[in-house]
Amino acid sequence: MSHKTVDLDGFKQVVGPDNVSTQESELESFRSAGMASRGSPVAIVKPTEMSELRDIIILARQTGANLVFSSSAPPRFRGDSIPSEDGVIVDLSGMDEITRLDRRNKVAYIEPGVTFSHLIEAADKVGLKVLMPLLPRAGKSVLACFLEREPITIPKYHWDMTDPLLCTEMVFGTGDLFRTGTAGSPGTIEQQIDAGLAHKNPLGPGTTDFLRIVQGSQGTLAGVTWATIKLEVKPSVHKIYFVPDIKLERLIEFTYRALRPRLGDEWLILNSRALATLIGETSAAVEELAGRQAPWTLVYGVSGYRYLPEERMALQEKDLGKIAQAAGVVPVSEVPGCPAKKMERILASPSPEPYYKTVPKGAFTDIFFLATLDEVSTLIAVMEKACEHHGYPTSELGAYIQPIQQGRTAHVEFALSYDPADEAESKKVAELADSASRALDAAGAFFSRPYGAWSDIAYRNCPDTVEALKKVKRVMDPDNVLNRGKLCYGEEVV
Amino acid sequence: MIRVISDEAYKELEAAVGPDNVSRLPVVLDSYAFQPFENHESMPWCPSPVAVALPSTTEEVSEVIKACNRHGLKHKAFSTGWGMWCGPTTDNVVQIDLRRMNQIVEIDEKNQFAIVEPYVCGAQLQAEAMKVGLNTHIIGAGPNTSPLASATSMYGVGHDGIYMSYSARNVLGLEWVQPTGEVLRLGSPGSDKGWFSGDGPGPSLRGTMRGYTGALGGMGVFTKVALKLFNWPGPPQVKSSGTVVDLTSEIPENIGLYMCFFPNADKLADAYYDIGEAEIGYNSLKVATPAFMMVLAPHLFKKLKDTKNLSRMLGKTMGHLFLMLLAGTSKEDLAHQERVLEAIVDEHDGFILDQKNIPPLKSNFMMNFIRATLPALVFRIGGSFSTALGRNDSLDSQVTWGEAIADIKRGYASKGQIIDDMGDNPYFVPYESNMFAHCEVVYPYDHRNPRYLEGSNNITMDFIIGAVELCMEAGFGTLPPARKILSPLTSNYNYWQKKFSEAFDPDQGSDKGLYTDETEFDFSEIAPERVAKLERLVKERTWTELGPPE
Repeated sequence: MSHKTVDLDGFKQVVGPDNVSTQESELESFRSAGMASRGSPVAIVKPTEMSELRDIIILARQTGANLVFSSSAPPRFRGDSIPSEDGVIVDLSGMDEITRLDRRNKVAYIEPGVTFSHLIEAADKVGLKVLMPLLPRAGKSVLACFLEREPITIPKYHWDMTDPLLCTEMVFGTGDLFRTGTAGSPGTIEQQIDAGLAHKNPLGPGTTDFLRIVQGSQGTLAGVTWATIKLEVKPSVHKIYFVPDIKLERLIEFTYRALRPRLGDEWLILNSRALATLIGETSAAVEELAGRQAPWTLVYGVSGYRYLPEERMALQEKDLGKIAQAAGVVPVSEVPGCPAKKMERILASPSPEPYYKTVPKGAFTDIFFLATLDEVSTLIAVMEKACEHHGYPTSELGAYIQPIQQGRTAHVEFALSYDPADEAESKKVAELADSASRALDAAGAFFSRPYGAWSDIAYRNCPDTVEALKKVKRVMDPDNVLNRGKLCYGEEVV
Repeated sequence: MIRVISDEAYKELEAAVGPDNVSRLPVVLDSYAFQPFENHESMPWCPSPVAVALPSTTEEVSEVIKACNRHGLKHKAFSTGWGMWCGPTTDNVVQIDLRRMNQIVEIDEKNQFAIVEPYVCGAQLQAEAMKVGLNTHIIGAGPNTSPLASATSMYGVGHDGIYMSYSARNVLGLEWVQPTGEVLRLGSPGSDKGWFSGDGPGPSLRGTMRGYTGALGGMGVFTKVALKLFNWPGPPQVKSSGTVVDLTSEIPENIGLYMCFFPNADKLADAYYDIGEAEIGYNSLKVATPAFMMVLAPHLFKKLKDTKNLSRMLGKTMGHLFLMLLAGTSKEDLAHQERVLEAIVDEHDGFILDQKNIPPLKSNFMMNFIRATLPALVFRIGGSFSTALGRNDSLDSQVTWGEAIADIKRGYASKGQIIDDMGDNPYFVPYESNMFAHCEVVYPYDHRNPRYLEGSNNITMDFIIGAVELCMEAGFGTLPPARKILSPLTSNYNYWQKKFSEAFDPDQGSDKGLYTDETEFDFSEIAPERVAKLERLVKERTWTELGPPE
């Protein structure tokens, strides 16, 4: 598809002329993201309601346009919203209302453009808290974040991979509307709410779970127009602890023992560089703070709620103290440059601007995957070896380990900082990211969210899965109009 | 109709599993046709299969399915069985009996999951898990049922849901013999990375495998699943003697069991909401007081219900009750949880009967509760029972559903078409620290009683109307006539299920009766005003090409 074949008039008829843009200044942010580059956005179309999105998809089926969904503000890092061939960006960020916030059932109804700042403020007013990923970008869409299975920092609330996403409204690549979970029940949403439903059950309807299918699909199967998000009650007392240690294995042992009985709230492990990047506000501060941290630091929170909060917290502290002793680690209330209160604020907020990972050197590349906690040390060794091989200082390698699914699995994330103005360094990091990803895959890392080049790495391991996903694509996007070229579908699905 | 399998097809089944593990003897086949619970036609018999094959490996399952497909036979999996869901719904079905696949393949203690085959039952897995300080979600149907079946193919509700969730949400890696006979492993095992994740790379195929319910045998056969296990703070083996109603167990000092009574359903719901926010509770179940009598002492129960004051006291005054099992990390933690529970119950005008003050009851109930042994005793009073399943969602929605169905039940009980159980008799379960909840209303009946059979279509219709009025996707929408009515009101979900069925099962080899089939509801005995009411609701709430009604 070239620029000339895009039916801009058709899109203008759907959303109005003011909501179609071909301005280079707007298109620019869709040309590159992290390792993804050479994107070819030809126009941005901005629907303001579900029916417009549906008509956009129907028009794309008629004209063969390649639609790429976006709902977050730039900068972009993953590449899922960078068209891999000429594409029309469907910008949903203007749909940014929190349409309902239900305190009793701890649930928010949000549109795609709702950001973390927006939702945190609204939830806080009614005594609820948002289940946060680690320092999301300020302009990051909450809905997009969880559609991409971004991990949250409180493992005990992560019961299943769909959490904290609950019910959704989506438009398939066929142009058909569908509602998932209890939102798909009979009646209008208002009638359902009047009948007592709070749209907290993400399963179904029926025997298929479209939320689960669409989650992780990078916009290749459907566009989501609103969702319900699980919130949790804000603690009445809350305290953060740090457990610095030279040995990661001890912290992992501590984690296993503590998470099994669901002790603690926030729970994450950072190496010195990742911790310094989190708490340092300038490049110099990051360098200085990294040198003052223990090689590894576990961060955890304990809370008390409405009933006997101090007693609950004291019990948790006592239990965790015993477990820490058994694991041979020592919790403290402060690490260099970061008292507990500062970390508490960090864990409850989006990133300041500029995005915190760009602070050390201006740019970064992430490598992330899933593994069990007992495999993490091995995979870190693989990553460090790759760094050494490519001449990248391991002291500059950020490592973040986030237990998910109540400790059964971990999201492991490496960050490689570099100066984007330094071509040689940029090239070196790109090569390192590629070879390290392959080495990690060979060592057992599961690239469950295969952005960009990882799709080749991930899908070559599972040809049966690829065949099954092609069947799904044929059902939900038979004309291949959604984010063409992403994931594993190839051309033959059309 | 006489159903037979060709010699050629039979020989291929023999080749797949060995001659000793396949049968077409009528006496054997008919034994599969009786399932103790429910039937899609309100009769005690399912259609008999044309043959039964007992594979012992995934490869054998695959070969059986391929043989069926070559000969135009359908296949239907059976693991531990319980109701008509595991039996054929039509002719020419080969029953794949998975009882030889009965291994706990692995318990990964650190990462809290177990890999199990289809015929592993809940009690078996629980006993092994407890040895390493873990526990498994057991569904309300009891510990004799297959955790794999409930996680992949059925429903999955159990009264440990407050701590151990719903079966569908406990699935990690999965091995699935598709209706074509091809083997697909979902998630990390599909990439040979271990069994710790069922999602990805990219879109999660778990969503094609099941939704609110499983495909009930309509999408191939599941041969291995990694299931989440959960912390067990009790001893590796609970010292017990006796079975079920005369069971006694030694109670660990960090486990308590409490009956919490409230003056009305609203107060009970308020308390449940607060308990969820306090994050206490290991098992919990809202149940009617008379239900205890009914399952434990059915003969006494029949006498009690004829008493005026006593039955009123049990059914009304003590009608709003939930059981709560607390399990602390220590005795001190249990004491804290008890104080929280007391504060919440007190705040909502309830009272607690702490079973530690009734040692014989606590000694009997604890393991029966943890092992979900008692609900199946509901068979005792009438020989069979059914339930009105709503759609799991907020606690409030489930309270409303329970009350609406209780009203419907009373009418049928007064006509003698179902057994009067003196209350709403819900099986009401909160999930995931009360994130959402489940309520099905149980009604026992005698399936030999012609009056029940006469009323069964009416009661089903009233539940459908009740569900649609309350904006619920009824749980019994797996039945073909209900599916035909409900799907157009519910995102047209069956249209999409059929699409997936065609994509994954091009020869339509799996028995689709309870997955995608739609049949006409028999309205002949339904009162015209109820038919008119349903028609009005359907007209109001049917999805059009443009989407839902606005």
